[in-house]
Amino acid sequence: MKIAYRPLLAAVVIALAGCGQDSGPAEKSAEPAPDITAEMQEHYRTKVSLPPEIWEALEKGQITQEEVDARAAAGEFPRFFRFATPADIPGDLDWEDGSDLPDFGSPEAKKGGTFYTWIQDFPRTLRRFGPDANGGFRPFILDDVVMQLGRRHPNDTSITETGFRYFPGIAREWALDKENATVYVRIDPEARFSDGEPITADDMLFMFFLYQSPHIRAPWYNNWYNRKYTSITKYDELTFSITQPEVRPDLLFKVMELEPLPEHFYRELGEDYVERYQWRFVPTSGAYEVRPENLKKGQSITLTRVKDWWAKDKKFWRNRYNFDRLHFTVIRDIPKAFESFRKGELDRFGGTLPEYWYEKMPDGAEEVQKGYVHKSVFYNDRPRPTYGLWINEARPLLDNRDVRVGIQHATNWDLVIEKYFRGDYQRMRTNSDGYGEFTHPTLQPRGYSVDKALEHFAKAGFVNRGADGILVNEAGERLSFTLTTGYQNFRDVLTILAEEAAKAGLEYRLEILDQTASWKKVQEKKHDIAFTAFAVSAEMYPRYWDFGHSVNAYDRAFLPDGSPNPDRKLKTQTNNLQSLAYPELDAMIEAYRASSDAEEMKELAFKMEEFLYEDASFVPGFVIPFYRVLHWRWFRFPDEFDVKLSRGPDQYFLSWIDTEMKKETLEARKSGKTFPPVIRDYDQYRTN
Amino acid sequence: MRLNPLTIRKLRRFREIKRGYYSFLILTVLTLLSLCAELLINDKPLLISYQGELMFPTYSSVKLGHEFGLEGDAANIPVNYRALAERFSAEADGNSIIMPPVPYNPYENTEVEGIFRAAPPDLAKKHYLGTDTTGRDILARLFYGFRTAILFAIAFTVLTYLIGIALGCMMGYFGGLFDLLFQRIIEIWSNIPFLYMVIIVFSVIPATFSIPVRITILLVIMVLFSWTFMTYYMRTETYREKARDYALAARVLGASTSRIIFRHILPNTISTIVTFIPFTVVAAITAITALDFLGWGLPPPTPSIGELLKQGTANLTTAPWIVTSAFVALVVILTLVTFIGEAIREAFDPKKFTIYR
Repeated sequence: MKIAYRPLLAAVVIALAGCGQDSGPAEKSAEPAPDITAEMQEHYRTKVSLPPEIWEALEKGQITQEEVDARAAAGEFPRFFRFATPADIPGDLDWEDGSDLPDFGSPEAKKGGTFYTWIQDFPRTLRRFGPDANGGFRPFILDDVVMQLGRRHPNDTSITETGFRYFPGIAREWALDKENATVYVRIDPEARFSDGEPITADDMLFMFFLYQSPHIRAPWYNNWYNRKYTSITKYDELTFSITQPEVRPDLLFKVMELEPLPEHFYRELGEDYVERYQWRFVPTSGAYEVRPENLKKGQSITLTRVKDWWAKDKKFWRNRYNFDRLHFTVIRDIPKAFESFRKGELDRFGGTLPEYWYEKMPDGAEEVQKGYVHKSVFYNDRPRPTYGLWINEARPLLDNRDVRVGIQHATNWDLVIEKYFRGDYQRMRTNSDGYGEFTHPTLQPRGYSVDKALEHFAKAGFVNRGADGILVNEAGERLSFTLTTGYQNFRDVLTILAEEAAKAGLEYRLEILDQTASWKKVQEKKHDIAFTAFAVSAEMYPRYWDFGHSVNAYDRAFLPDGSPNPDRKLKTQTNNLQSLAYPELDAMIEAYRASSDAEEMKELAFKMEEFLYEDASFVPGFVIPFYRVLHWRWFRFPDEFDVKLSRGPDQYFLSWIDTEMKKETLEARKSGKTFPPVIRDYDQYRTN
Repeated sequence: MRLNPLTIRKLRRFREIKRGYYSFLILTVLTLLSLCAELLINDKPLLISYQGELMFPTYSSVKLGHEFGLEGDAANIPVNYRALAERFSAEADGNSIIMPPVPYNPYENTEVEGIFRAAPPDLAKKHYLGTDTTGRDILARLFYGFRTAILFAIAFTVLTYLIGIALGCMMGYFGGLFDLLFQRIIEIWSNIPFLYMVIIVFSVIPATFSIPVRITILLVIMVLFSWTFMTYYMRTETYREKARDYALAARVLGASTSRIIFRHILPNTISTIVTFIPFTVVAAITAITALDFLGWGLPPPTPSIGELLKQGTANLTTAPWIVTSAFVALVVILTLVTFIGEAIREAFDPKKFTIYR
C-alpha cells in the first residue's frame, strides 16, 4: 500500500517498472576506470558562489552566463570551498548536541529476525540520485536509513531560538551563528561508513562537489546545492562550517539534514556515472546495507544490518533498526500481496485503505479474533500531502473566478470522505495543513452546495442546462473540464466526484493516466484540473514560491508597468500548477522569502492563505491523519509507539520481530490455540 | 430477395441444428434488447404521470427537481426518480411513475448503511446481481458492457472482412507481382505486436475525446492489425476458384473483372468466410475484455465486462458475486457464439454426414 502510507512525491514521480539487464559491478569494462580527483581539486579551487540577485538576473535573462563566468574569473564573487584552521573557529559559539532530548527506542526491543515485506516494483537503481533514483525503494536505502548530520526529534517538535530540535547523527555537536547564516559542525570521530572508512569533513566537501556536478544528471540537486548554500569551510578533519545566502528561521534544518558522501566510493565518477553506479550500493552511515548477493533482480532485495554498526549503542539510535534482515519480495498485484500476508508469508500489510481495514480484514475476521493478526492505528501530526484539485487558471473558462468558486461548491469531497473513506479521513483545510503554528488557524474550505455552485456558475454566464443536464452558456460552450490524475487507486473517488458535480451542471471528464504520463502533462501545464498531491517533508514552514509565484507560472508574467504581459508564455516544469500570477501575491511571497522573523512569516503565510482561498483555484481534498497497519502478532511495536512526525511504521525503525513469538503463533495456528485479539489506537498525537 | 436454392438448403440445415439455432436466437434477442438498454436498465422512468400529464423521460433532456414540485436541495438538481416514485406513492395524489425493471444506471453509486461498498444480490432493492466495490449495480454495468462489446465485435468483424476479403481476392485473382508484394507486406505487418500498439496509441490520445471516439479509435487500431488473417484464406480460395471452368467461361464470355470476382468467385467462397465469423466475434470480445482487464481499454467509468472481472479478481473472497457475475456472463456469451459457429460450419459443410471432431 505504497500510496496509503507513503504518499507519492509529486515532484518525484515514481515510475518503477521491471529491472534492466544485468550490468552489475561484476561486469567491469576493459577501459581503465576514470578518476575524478583532478576535477574535484579544480572544482574546489575555482568554484564561486553567486549572490541571489545574480541568480535571479540569470533566470530572468537580464545577464548571460558568459558575463557571469567572466566576472567570476575576474574574482568578483567569493569562493564556495574554503580551507581554514581550527584557530579560525569563533570562540564564542554556543555548541549544542541535543543530549537533553528524550530517547525514543524501546528498551524491550529484541534484535534479530527477518522482516518479510513486499514492494510493488523492483528498484530501478541503487544510485541515490540521478535518473530513476527517486523510486519507492529510496526510503530504505536513503531517507529513513542514513544518519545525516543530525535528525529532527520526531516527538519534540518544538521550535526554539535556533530552530527545530535535533538529535545527533553523524555530527557530535553543532553551533549556529545566526548573524552570519553559518552553521558549525563537528563530526563524531567514531563515525564510519559501512565499508569501514571513517567519515570526515572531506566527505562533506565532496558532497557539495558531487551535487554540483553535471555528471550525476540530477538538475534539481545541481540547482539546490548551488543556490541554497554560499560556502563550506573546512577547519580540520572533523570540523567544518556551512554558510547560507540568507538568514532564515530554519538555518539549522538546511545543514543538519545533509548527509556526507563517501569520497572514496565515487572516485570513478565521470560521464558514465548513471551506468557505472547503477547497481552499486553506496556505503552508508546507517544501519542497513544491500550486499550484492542479496540483490535478485526483479524478484527480491534484502537489506542486512551492518556488522558492528558504529552507532548501535548511541542514544537515539539504540533499540532501533532491530531486524537482522529486511526481505522485500516483488509482488506486483496488491490483492496478491494481501493473500500472501494472510498466509503469514509477509509480516505486515498496510491497512490505511478502508477496503483492507473494513472489508478484507475486518475486526471480526478469524485471524484477528484469534489474536494472530493485530490491527494498529497510529495517529501522526505532520505536514500533509496536498491531495486536492489543482485548477489551472490559464485555461479558458477557468480564468473566471466565478467558475472556480462554482467548482469549489460543486466538488463533493465531504461525500467521498464520509461514504467512500468511511469518515476516517478528514477534509483538508488549506494546502499547507500540518505545519503547526504556520498553518492558518481558522480557514475552512467551501462545502458542497448545488445552489451556491449554480449561483456562481450563473454569474459566469452559465444559466441553462443542456439536454444532459450540463450547464451551457450563451456561446454554446459546455461547462466541462478534463480532470487528470495519475492515481489509479483513486479512480473511484473521481467517479464519485464526477457524478456529484453533474448534479450542479458541471462535467468532469476523467482522465486516469499512469503516474509518469499524468505528471508530464501537469508539468507541461496542459491540464484543466489535476487531482494530484505533493508529498511534503517535515519542514518548518510551507513553501509558497514554488506553488504561487508568477515566475513559476509564466516567462515574463508582467510588463515593467506591472500589467499582465499579453505575450506571456506558460512556464513548464514548475510546481505552480494553478498558473497563479498576481503581483500582490508575488510581493507577499518575496517578503516571506526574505523574512528572518518567524512571527512575520506566520502573518504573511496566513494572508497568503486567505488570498489563495479567495482565488479559489485549489479545491482542498482530504488528509489522512493516521496510518494503519495489519501485522502478525510477532511483529512488535513499542508499547507507547506513536511517532508524531512519522509518515509510516518503518520510518524510525522502532519495531522488531519476536522470533519466539513467531514460533509460538505458527504452532498455535496449527493447534487452534488462540490469543486475545488486539485492535489498538495509538492516539497520543491525534489532532481531531 | 431471391435466394439460391443451395443457400436455402444451408439455412434450413442451420435451423435443424437446434443448439446453434437457439444460441443464435438468444444472442440476437440479447443484442436487440441491449440496443434499447435505456428502457430496461436506467434510473430514468419509462413513464411519469404527473398532475395529469404524461412524460417519457428516457430519451428526453434532464429534468430538475422543481419541475415536480420538489423543494430545497432537491429543487435544482436532476431528479432522483426512485425517490420521487416513493414520494408519489406515499402522497397518493394520483401521480405515478413506472420505473424500468432495473432502476439504476451503470454509473451511480448506491450506498449500503451509508457507505459505498460492494453489496450482495438484493431482490428487494432490485440489485439482482449485487453491486460492485463502489456500489454500482452489476447487472447494469454488465448489460451496458455487453452492448459495447457486442457492437464492437460486430463492427470489428464487418471491417476486417471488408479489408481482408477485398485484398485477399485481389491477391488471388491478379496473382503475380501484386500477390508477391502484398504477401510480403502482410508478413511484415502481421508481425507488429498489436497489444503494444494499442497501449502506445492509447497512452497518447487525450481524454478530451469522448468515449465513442475512443472506442472508435480502439476499433480502428484493432482492425488495422487484424485484417491480415482473412487474406490468407481468401487468397487461396480465389486462386482455386479462378482456375475452375466456370470462372474461365465467364471470362471468355467477356465478363469484367469485378463481375467475375463478386458474382462468380465470391459466392463460391462464402462457406470459408461464414465459418470464420463466429471466431472473429469471439476474438473481438475477448480482446476488448482483456484490454479492459489490463486497464488499457475503455476509459473509466465506462461499464465493461473486463473492468468487472478485474474488480472481481481483486475481491475474490470479500465480494465473490462480482467475479461470478462477470465470469458467467462472459462464458455464456462466448459459448453462445461458439455454438452458433459450430452450427454454421456444419450447415455450410457440403458433406452432410461428416462430423468435425
